[in-house]
Amino acid sequence: MNNTLLRARDIHRSYGEGPTEVKVLRGVNLSVPAGEFLVVMGASGCGKSTFLHILGALDAPNRGAVEFHGKDIFSQSAQNRGFYRNREIGFVFQFYHLMPELNVLENVLIPRMVGHSILTWRRARREAKSAAAQMLERVGLSGRARHRPNELSGGERQRVAIARALINRPALLLADEPTGNLDEVTGADILKLLVELNDAGQTIVMVTHDAKVASQAHRRVHLSEGVIRETVAATGGREPAVVATARIAQ
Amino acid sequence: MYKWFLAWRYLNTKLIAFFGIASVMLCVAMVLVVLSVMGGFLDTIRARSRGLHSEIVLESGSLQGFPYYEEFQKYVAKEMPDVVRISTPVIYTYGIFRVPATTYTRPARVVGIRLKEYVQVNDFARGLYYERYFPGTTHLGEQSMPVAGLMDDGQIKLPEPLESANKRWRESETDPKTLEEFDRLPFEKAFFPSVTSVVPATRVFAVGAGPPSFEGAPKGGVIIGVDLLHYRRPDGNFDRQIARGADIALTLMPLSPTGNPTGEPPVRLPLRYADDSRTGIYEIDELCVYVEHDLLQHHLAMDAQPLEGGGSTRPRINQLQIALQPGVELNSARDRIQGAWHRFRVSLGEDITEMDERALAFVTAYTWEDMQRQFIQAVEKEKVLVTFLFGLISMVAIVLVGCIFYMIVEKKTKDIGILKALGASGKGVGGLFVVYAGAVGVVGSLLGLLVGSVFVWNINDIQDILASLNPQLRVWSPEVYSFDRIPEAVKRADAVWVAVVAVLSSIIGSLIPAWIAARVWPVKALRYE
Repeated sequence: MNNTLLRARDIHRSYGEGPTEVKVLRGVNLSVPAGEFLVVMGASGCGKSTFLHILGALDAPNRGAVEFHGKDIFSQSAQNRGFYRNREIGFVFQFYHLMPELNVLENVLIPRMVGHSILTWRRARREAKSAAAQMLERVGLSGRARHRPNELSGGERQRVAIARALINRPALLLADEPTGNLDEVTGADILKLLVELNDAGQTIVMVTHDAKVASQAHRRVHLSEGVIRETVAATGGREPAVVATARIAQ
Repeated sequence: MYKWFLAWRYLNTKLIAFFGIASVMLCVAMVLVVLSVMGGFLDTIRARSRGLHSEIVLESGSLQGFPYYEEFQKYVAKEMPDVVRISTPVIYTYGIFRVPATTYTRPARVVGIRLKEYVQVNDFARGLYYERYFPGTTHLGEQSMPVAGLMDDGQIKLPEPLESANKRWRESETDPKTLEEFDRLPFEKAFFPSVTSVVPATRVFAVGAGPPSFEGAPKGGVIIGVDLLHYRRPDGNFDRQIARGADIALTLMPLSPTGNPTGEPPVRLPLRYADDSRTGIYEIDELCVYVEHDLLQHHLAMDAQPLEGGGSTRPRINQLQIALQPGVELNSARDRIQGAWHRFRVSLGEDITEMDERALAFVTAYTWEDMQRQFIQAVEKEKVLVTFLFGLISMVAIVLVGCIFYMIVEKKTKDIGILKALGASGKGVGGLFVVYAGAVGVVGSLLGLLVGSVFVWNINDIQDILASLNPQLRVWSPEVYSFDRIPEAVKRADAVWVAVVAVLSSIIGSLIPAWIAARVWPVKALRYE
């Protein structure tokens, strides 16, 4: 059975033109099966985040394709790419990127709101709030729903960001250095949470340069000089959970 | 949904939005104040202008006037009873107005009226000062000077007809405010501490040492434009220094039917100050005096004058003021009366003199609006111009909202990136800022309407406070604008219109920043720290 959720084919990305052109990605190929916890490693500036953004349709490649369930996302309309980001992808960033004006619950609810008009929201609101509350419970923040981001610790903020990324039950979670801004203990907690989510069937692609963090993945790839140089299978005894569709059981 | 939610949240939490709200509020308040004051000014002018004339005025536009008016009055009364309610002749001329007891001399427009008829065709009665508090006592016939006197019980009283007229008025007046107003008139109670009720004394009535009486030789009465006789204080009230019944002299220059001076010496007409009139139009109240029609007609030689070859000239007038039956449409009535005039002229046949024929040729019917059109149009244009200028200044609000939203978009670049990462489209993110600007416009407009309305409603009190600090700060001069008080009504339609334009302006102001927000590259935005 073809279990591939996401496939990147010959991704090229460069910035600038002429003599100032910087070729960041020079033909990256990668395939991510559903349920896998994949880590992309590499030195700073090697293009890890750029690659992740392209996978999440936040950025577009100069050449190459990203296929999600076999369909090229960049051959689709901007509206469909927005739909893809909203429904199929969950982003977790190093700096959390929470909205300071909103409380924890509202931050988690925003992706749901993005997917609804003011008219359809009336019907969806109750279910959305309940899903957000469940998600906060899952990340261990049910008591913090009314707090503002500036009242939370770094670890708590990252948990909110994870809850926000998962509220629409995306097939794929893209995490860009999620522990990069946290101390070791808190980082370990976040990693543990991600592992638990993966164990429950969530497909995760994570960018990191921390080998200790990477050790928790099923597979890690090294990006160097714009291409994937090395693929290393899991060493910690973890194998991908067998899932037909990579959705977290609610 | 996020657009509305975030717009509302930004509105509540972003201090910078309050600058936008404040600018919209100030612009809305400013335009509303200007519209209300100018609109009120225009409405008052229209209302006052309406009261100056009867509904239809028939006139030749010439000082020597036109004849056959009595015949025409009978003609329309017979032919058009469904249109014409009443008509009255009016004579206009110019003369020199003098108060013999002082050195006060001014040019004046002398109007000859039949008071009883005149007050039935227009609002003239409403502006009469003494007639208001002493109803039925103002007339233009021969009269002596009423002199208040000291009674045995220490009270001052006016001669009987006036005293009982005032009593009647007091009994019939139901509005306690008006009674209070009367009691506040500048009657000199201080001279008579024993007086228990307010009695008009010097300044408005002469006071003698004996009992109340009428003194002096009877003379024809004259009603005087209030600004011609009395000094209007900056607070709008009048300083009445001339008592009722005082001697007044008018000097007139009679004209022959051809319009030339008759060759006779100017006529000096001794009169008594019977009342003063306030139409509310300064240009009229500082110029006009009103005397008995027949008296003026006689002294101007506009009555029937014997001719050398026998017979006599026809009496002439300058205007025939015509009041219409209730419900008759103004313009169609004018046209029908004009038609009636032509038919009437034809009915006169060939018997009329060449001079009369010439005088009759230019007689035209006008509505009161026609008569005041130039004046009203000037004010209307002024209103449009001032509103336009202030509206133009308010365009600054658009630029200001644009600048504020540009700053907000710059500041919210990271949020824009987050929203796009969460699936929001560029259009949706742009829409967020348009909704946000709309919300700023709505809140700013509502506050502006509130501030503007409160300001307009209290504009006179505000001016009084400012004037008490420094008289130079009194911007509304009753001497100039004819009205004592600045118009202080806010029209609902004006308020709605101003608010809608302000909200649209805010939205327009946000379009460029919203377009910039829509085009933000999410990757760059997310790296924005």
